[in-house]
Amino acid sequence: MNQEELTAIVDAYPAKMEYALAMLQDMQHRFGCVPREGITAAASRLSCPESHLYSMVTFYKALSLTPKGKHIIKVCNGTACHIRKSIDLAEDICETLSIRPGGTTADGFFSLELVNCVGACALAPVMLIDNTYYGNLTRKKLKKILASYLEEKP
Amino acid sequence: MQIVINGTACECETGETILTIARRNGIFIPTMCHHDKYPGEGACRLCVVEITENGRSKVVASCIYPVTHEITVETDTEKLQRYRRLLIAFMQRRAPNSEAIAKLMEEYEVPDYSLRSLLTGKCILCGLCVRACKKIGISAISMVKRGTGKKVSTPYDEPSPVCIGCGACARVCPTGAILVTETEDSRIIWGREFPKKRHAAAGKKEE
Repeated sequence: MNQEELTAIVDAYPAKMEYALAMLQDMQHRFGCVPREGITAAASRLSCPESHLYSMVTFYKALSLTPKGKHIIKVCNGTACHIRKSIDLAEDICETLSIRPGGTTADGFFSLELVNCVGACALAPVMLIDNTYYGNLTRKKLKKILASYLEEKP
Repeated sequence: MQIVINGTACECETGETILTIARRNGIFIPTMCHHDKYPGEGACRLCVVEITENGRSKVVASCIYPVTHEITVETDTEKLQRYRRLLIAFMQRRAPNSEAIAKLMEEYEVPDYSLRSLLTGKCILCGLCVRACKKIGISAISMVKRGTGKKVSTPYDEPSPVCIGCGACARVCPTGAILVTETEDSRIIWGREFPKKRHAAAGKKEE
C-alpha cells in the first residue's frame, strides 16, 4: 500500500460525506482491509473526524481493519443452508484450515466468514469462494474444492 | 398553538418537542439520555408518553416528538409505567454496574423479570457522550463495532490525538460509565493524560 494509491482512491470521489462508504469499500477491495492511513486520508478528504469513519469500518462486516486472506470463503448459514447442515461444512473448513469464522489463516491465504443467506437457497448448502458459488455441497465435495485452492498455493 | 398535557393546557410553538413543552410547564417526564444542550438523542425511551390525536392514541418518545398540531398528552398512565419498568430492567441488564440505574430500579419498583445477561459495566450505549463530543466540535469518541461488541470508544482504543480532555462526555453520561481519573496535576480520560495548567500560566498569551 502506498500513499499515492490512497490519494487516488479518495480523490476519485467528490469530497462529500455520502461517498465515505464508497472510498472505504475501494480500500477494502484494493488492500484487503481499510488501513489506518486510509481512514486518515479519507477523513482529511471529507473534512470529517476520524472517529466517524472508524465507527463505519467497525460497523460494516464488509470492511475490516485487519487484512483479509487472499481467498475469502463465505459459508452461507441462512435458513435453507442451516437446515442442510451448513454448520458441519463450516466446522470442516475450520478444522482443515485451522481457523475460526471471521478469522484468517496464518499464511494469509484464506479468510472464513459465516454469512446469513447469499440468495441462492436452491443450491443449499452453498458457499462462495471469492466470487464463485459452490452449491449442493457435501463434505466430500468441500474437501475437493479446498484441495483445488490449496494446490495453487506456492 | 396549544396542547394538553395531563389535563393542563400548554402554550407551544409548532416543532417544539413534547418534552420541552412539558418541562417549561413544570410537568415531570423521566429521562436518561436527554440533555438540554444536546437534545434529540431518543435512545433510552424512558421519556415515553401517550398522545391522542383524532381519537387514536399512541406511545411516542417525548424528547424527539415534535408537535405539529393540537394533541392531548398523558405522561404517567398505567401503560407507560409498565413500559418504563421494563425499559429500566433492560437497561439494568445492559449496565448492571451502574448505581444510577440501580437507583431507578428502586424508585420505579421494577419487578424481577428474570432477564439473563452476561454483560458487565455501566454503559447503556445511549450515545449522549458521542453527541456531546461532536457538538463541541471534537468527535474524539464514537460508537464502535456492533451487536454484542458495540461500545463507545476512541479509534483503535488508543488515546485520541484530538481529545482535549474537557470531560464533557463524562459529565453528560447518565450512568457514570466514563472513567475520569483526577489527580492534583493531571486528568486521565479515554487513556490519555492531560496535565493541568497552573492559574499563573493561564491568561498569558504565547506568541
